[in-house]
Amino acid sequence: MASNASTSDVEGQLRSPSQKVENKHEEKVQDPDREKHEPKADMGSKTWADLAGEMKIFLWNPEERTCMGRTAKSWGLILLFYFIFYTCLAGMFAFCLYVMLLTLSPYTPRYRDRVSPPGVMIRPYLNGFTIAFNVSQPNTWQPYMDSMHHFLAAYDDKVQEEKNIECVPGQYFIQGGSDSEEKKACQFKRSLLQNCSGIQDPTFGYSRGQPCILLKMNRIIGYRPGAGVPVSVECKVQKGNESHLRSVDFYPGNGTFDLMYYPYYGKFTHVNYTSPLVAMHFTDVQRNHLVPIQCSLHGKGIINDLNSDRFLGRIIFTLSIGK
Amino acid sequence: MGLWIRQEKTTLSSQEKVTAEICKLSKKVELQNFDFFCGLLQRRSDVYSVEIYGTKDLQKTEIEDEEEKHKDQKGNKKKKKAEDLKKELDLVSGLSSARAAEILARDGPNALTPPKATPEIVKFLKQMIGGFSILLWIGAGFSWISFGIQLAQGVDSAFDNLYLGVVLALVVILTGIFAYYQEAKSTNIMASFSKMIPQVRATVDNSSLTGESEPQSRSCDFTHENPLETRNIAFYSTTCVEGTATGIVINTGDRTIIGRIASLASGVGNEKTPIAIEIEHFVYLVAGVAISIGVLFFIISVSMRYKILDSIIFLIGIIVANVPEGLLATVTVSLSLTAKRMAKKNCLVKNLEAVETLGSTSIICSDKTGTLTQNRMTVAHLWFDNQIYSADTSEDQTTQPFDQSSPTWTALSKIVTLCNRAEFRPGQENLPIMKRVVVGDASETALLKFSEVILGDVMSIRAQNRKVAEIPFNSTNKFQLSIHETDDPQDKRFLLVMKGAPERILERCSTIMINGKEEPLDSEKAEAFQTAYMELGGMGERVLGFCHLYLPENEFPETFQFDTDSMNFPTSNLCFVGLLSMIDPPRSTVPDAVSKCRSAGIKVIMVTGDHPITAKAIAKSVGIISATSETVEDIAKRLNIPVEQVNRREATAAVVNGMELKDMSSEQLDEILRNHTEIVFARTSPQQKLIIVEGCQRQGAVVAVTGDGVNDSPALKKADIGIAMGIAGSDAAKNAADMVLLDDNFASIVTGVEEGRLIFDNLKKTIAYTLTKNIAELCPFLIYIIASIPMPIGTITILFIDLGTDIIPSVALAYEKAESDIMNRRPRNKRRDRLVNQQLAVYSYLQIGIMQSVGAFVTYFTVYAEQGFLPSTLLGVRVNWENNAINDFEDSYGQQWTHYQRMYLQWTGYTAFFVSITIQQVADLIIRKTRRNSIFRQGLFRNKVIWVGIFSQIGIALILTYALSFPCPPCGFQYWFVAVPFAILIWVYDEIRKLLIRRHPGSECTPLILIKYFHFMSLFPPFHSHPRLRGFGLLVFLLPLPLSPG
Repeated sequence: MASNASTSDVEGQLRSPSQKVENKHEEKVQDPDREKHEPKADMGSKTWADLAGEMKIFLWNPEERTCMGRTAKSWGLILLFYFIFYTCLAGMFAFCLYVMLLTLSPYTPRYRDRVSPPGVMIRPYLNGFTIAFNVSQPNTWQPYMDSMHHFLAAYDDKVQEEKNIECVPGQYFIQGGSDSEEKKACQFKRSLLQNCSGIQDPTFGYSRGQPCILLKMNRIIGYRPGAGVPVSVECKVQKGNESHLRSVDFYPGNGTFDLMYYPYYGKFTHVNYTSPLVAMHFTDVQRNHLVPIQCSLHGKGIINDLNSDRFLGRIIFTLSIGK
Repeated sequence: MGLWIRQEKTTLSSQEKVTAEICKLSKKVELQNFDFFCGLLQRRSDVYSVEIYGTKDLQKTEIEDEEEKHKDQKGNKKKKKAEDLKKELDLVSGLSSARAAEILARDGPNALTPPKATPEIVKFLKQMIGGFSILLWIGAGFSWISFGIQLAQGVDSAFDNLYLGVVLALVVILTGIFAYYQEAKSTNIMASFSKMIPQVRATVDNSSLTGESEPQSRSCDFTHENPLETRNIAFYSTTCVEGTATGIVINTGDRTIIGRIASLASGVGNEKTPIAIEIEHFVYLVAGVAISIGVLFFIISVSMRYKILDSIIFLIGIIVANVPEGLLATVTVSLSLTAKRMAKKNCLVKNLEAVETLGSTSIICSDKTGTLTQNRMTVAHLWFDNQIYSADTSEDQTTQPFDQSSPTWTALSKIVTLCNRAEFRPGQENLPIMKRVVVGDASETALLKFSEVILGDVMSIRAQNRKVAEIPFNSTNKFQLSIHETDDPQDKRFLLVMKGAPERILERCSTIMINGKEEPLDSEKAEAFQTAYMELGGMGERVLGFCHLYLPENEFPETFQFDTDSMNFPTSNLCFVGLLSMIDPPRSTVPDAVSKCRSAGIKVIMVTGDHPITAKAIAKSVGIISATSETVEDIAKRLNIPVEQVNRREATAAVVNGMELKDMSSEQLDEILRNHTEIVFARTSPQQKLIIVEGCQRQGAVVAVTGDGVNDSPALKKADIGIAMGIAGSDAAKNAADMVLLDDNFASIVTGVEEGRLIFDNLKKTIAYTLTKNIAELCPFLIYIIASIPMPIGTITILFIDLGTDIIPSVALAYEKAESDIMNRRPRNKRRDRLVNQQLAVYSYLQIGIMQSVGAFVTYFTVYAEQGFLPSTLLGVRVNWENNAINDFEDSYGQQWTHYQRMYLQWTGYTAFFVSITIQQVADLIIRKTRRNSIFRQGLFRNKVIWVGIFSQIGIALILTYALSFPCPPCGFQYWFVAVPFAILIWVYDEIRKLLIRRHPGSECTPLILIKYFHFMSLFPPFHSHPRLRGFGLLVFLLPLPLSPG
């Protein structure tokens, strides 16, 4: 006790006698308790029936009116406590998220280091990156065609003219003003895709075994691809016989993404923004072969040779055109 | 097989006390079947001889069978058998070689069967499958199964599962190896230990077998039915001190007494240590939680139409998150740290788990000799001039404080000095007197040291008073006598000095010296002598009387030739000078230690082979029987009524004789153990020691037993913790024990108890600390399954927390100082005070753990939001998010992400989640420092190791995230701070909880505190006086509900 007293405050000294009383009380209580437990000690001889009975008592003890060792009142209080506790925690969680969200701009994410440089996707996209069809069987290429039409609906010349403005090609379309101001978007008309626009040839060349594939670059807010020089697209056979891919036409231009479509300002202000596309018209591909093709972006700041990410600045898909 | 032993009067000519000492076999001497009666197995050159004298003595031979236990009902039959044996055996030359070989073939070699040792590989494998390992193996198995399936399906990420499985298996194997290594290391401490301690082989006795510290005489008389008590049997493993004897081998190998004790010891099952039970309980609890949550969510995920394979992968995650992989290693390290600390304090722990057992000990059955006492005779009292003086009996006496001015003392001191054959071994002048080695028996040693302390150089005094004649002590005379010239050149008289049994000495005296003057010894003075003799004897002390006589110069001139055989000098009408009494005094640290035990709620029971009176005296002097308490006999004496009429419940103390104990039923023993708080068992045999231990264990006590002899080993083994003596202990005792006291000091046990209690408290803290983050690791999986958000934390990352950042802090908690005086607490109740109880688990899991999860999720959502995925976008996104064909996944701002970019972000999220848990674990570590006291009272900086823990935790996290970028890419440094508010919240919340716990001691986890609420308000004046604070009070009063510290 001596050492206790020396370190403790007044409260400690006051408390100690009462504790002792408690201890003594405990001591006395122990004995009858022990005897009660004694038969329980040999657990080995317990039968399943006993166990079930005990379980029943544990779940509902009619004598003491307890469920799992607690009375209704006790359970009520416990649950009330946890209800309040978790409500407070949830409140704090919500509050923290709220404060965090307050610090964010609704128009531009704080960091864009994980999303750039841009990745690449193609259309049509059905189930993976193999485009296989037989020219003679329209039902094999019909889904691709539908997918293209569906995708390009937003690029209809009328829609574009209605919603978007014409921009000056060859330079970034930088719009000043406050962040919250609505940004204008440049027209990307379907017709720019020429043979692949689906206007003259609603089958996008699939009916002739010369499929069109649209390539789009992932949108990144504020990203200016190519640093002044438009990013271009190039396709080659990824693995195998180079001669399987004899000619590809690119629209618009020579397969470049014009600078005027950049930068992107985010979906809240750049509402009508339509990603520029490059259409790849595979006019002469070896038939009846699986031809793996890699189309990649070229330009300053574009990475297209990352091993771990096969969609960063490039895309690999397989063409299989049958008769 | 019958036993008989023939003993001879020895021819040792001048030796004083030997009447019939027998040969006992030293430890190195093994009974070598029938060719030799006492053969030497290892060293035939050992000090051992067998002499055979004629056959006439054979008629005296008594027969006893070692196989008998206490009561021999078949005595006659045995005798007959022995007669046969005698006929069979040529008593001079022994058995023929052929017959010996025959018996050898029948009974096997004379060696003890070594105890069955568990093969190392089995021990190792046990570590591999024990505890959580089995769960982790299941996890690893599932990983490999899903790897197989995914590989067959051609899924890219299949190899992740392979690696995960490998990592899990590695974790199990490494922790297994670690635990095995620790275990092996602690065993090795033991192995090297026997080299450390000088193996003092007593040259005296069979104490290793029976615990009797005095040499026992052996004769041909069959004196007792108990083979251990009878005088005509010598035992394997004991040592022959002096004399010669001839015997017949009656038992060999495992059938000898020691063999039986050894098999008794190995027959006593190794009970699980309390901490092992606790850890098992804990493993069950956590495994139960893991499996039930795992299965529950497996069902949920299947019914939510996840693929079975995915569900299995979730299951793995849940198991990994739930199992505290590093914990068992941490516990092992903590225990071995404590073991190390204890070893420094002279408690060598053989079995790591025993570290804690000592802490939960509620009864200590202690040996007397050597443990409670100094194991050496020391002069305790003197009686001269009609007065009793007390001498200093402490271990390091340099002076004696009693009054030495009386001329009687001068005379007495002269007798003590001169009538003594003991001598110091030369070359010890620089050693303290008490430490010097003496050649001579125990009493003479005591007297020699006593006079050396008071008078200084005894040897020169003896030289000045040249000895001219001497009769050594023998048991017929019961006195010792010597005649000296005096150092006074004027005085030409010879001085005859004599010491011996007081009543014999008094018989020879006619005068008594009072204050230097010889006075006639009348009946009054004789009465005074009797009173003093009884009083000293009643203190359990061995009393010696001293007398002298100056031989008249005229009758005994200088040239007189004394002849000790014819005794041509007077041996009566001497002058009685005084009495000295000796005892093996208690160690000076023991009374304090006993009172510490008492305040720690530990009952100390003395179990000794010694005489009840001595035992009681020592028990009284060390406080095992406190000054105020009385035995039944004491009460009877005080009230002057027969013992039977005394109300047994009134007596708190009891001295139980071994003979009484023999006739007791176990109920009677239980009653004694229950009703008396202060118990001494005297004259007990090894089996009785075992019975006492079992009796204590029936009371539900955790029993510690100390012992040194072979005879103690069954009790040591049976005890929850056996404590062997390092110096005096036999190897058998050390082998059977869980702990070895290097200094043989009872007080070291108390230090051990303290450490044991501390480590139990601290392990609780460690476990609470470790369990908390399990929830923060588990919640991500549950929410991932239910809300389909991107995975917040990976399985491997969890392992990095469990096995990386958290290990050192959890070990650091083992260094935490005690919160309050743990030695003023009752020992923990095995049934109620569990290592992990409901409160601790609930508080860790449902409160702190949930707070941590919330904090970590805030970080998680922050990382995603700042990269463009606002929380609302994340919900339900899982399928597309994880689809590696979708490479233009749109975030909340309209940006598009490739699959790999998303995964990279997800891994960054893992890092951030990991960092948040780490940061909050720092707060968790700080709150776990105490369970009741405020951190500020305990002191933030008192335990420096905690800070090592915190810095290592943060350091390891920094290295993992920034230097290694493994397993996940680094996250922005700002994410280290997102969870800080929650860390602070955890701290504040826990401080409030502790405050309320302190305010309401005893109300553990009960909503009763609600009822006490108003009481609480009155205790807390601010809530009372400020109406505004009352609202806060309302909020706070709910907190303590289920918050007991566990």
